[in-house]
Amino acid sequence: MTKTVALYSLFILFGTFISAISQVMLKKAAMKTYPSKIREYLNPLVLSAYLIFIVATLCSVIAYRGVPLSLGPVLEATSYIYVTIFGVKIFHEKVNRKKILALALIIAGIVVAAV
Amino acid sequence: MKKNTVLTYVALHLMLMIYSMSGICSKLASKQAFLSPKFILYYGMVIVLLGFYAIAWQQIIKRLPLTTAYANRAVTVIWGAVWGFLIFHEEIRFNKITGIILVVAGVALYALSDGGDDVKKGSSASEESEEAQ
Repeated sequence: MTKTVALYSLFILFGTFISAISQVMLKKAAMKTYPSKIREYLNPLVLSAYLIFIVATLCSVIAYRGVPLSLGPVLEATSYIYVTIFGVKIFHEKVNRKKILALALIIAGIVVAAV
Repeated sequence: MKKNTVLTYVALHLMLMIYSMSGICSKLASKQAFLSPKFILYYGMVIVLLGFYAIAWQQIIKRLPLTTAYANRAVTVIWGAVWGFLIFHEEIRFNKITGIILVVAGVALYALSDGGDDVKKGSSASEESEEAQ
């Protein structure tokens, strides 16, 4: 990986982190009951989540000035690390050994593809 | 697996393929000057695909646990390589293919470990998603 690719990669990594936060907000919204179908989408939680998501897309556009498209989604796989942590801390989901091994494979794959 | 669950997975993967095309649009936008007409066109396409994703994803995660739905998103890693190779003629080296295989294998295992919990114990996440419906 060249210095330029590494530098631009940081934008994708940051964008992925903030979009994982937006996923938690969407899940929280999905767990609530709303008076109408339209209110499922038009509520502060869902709207802020998508605002964060739009900022993440702008991060991607900046990143792709230096990052190949074939590497972008590989870097976005860091989302599984965040979603596991948020899953445990916020939604009290269980983590087993398989999931830890899976995360190790994902991280190894990202490193191998990026180097 | 129930018939409805199979349909949800089919819808999820169709949606993910279409959504992965937002990467093509992002890459095209990145080659344009910021806020130039072509930038607006390509970035606009990113937003349109995002809007499509927004509506589809919200319905999907009501029917699947967040971790399971998220795990299936790994397929976008393969789509990224396919689009990069086909459209932008990117060089896909051996280490990238190996890395992609590892990532997809990791994500498959991630999803499998979650599915196993569903069958054996009935995970809290799937109960939550059913309550949300």
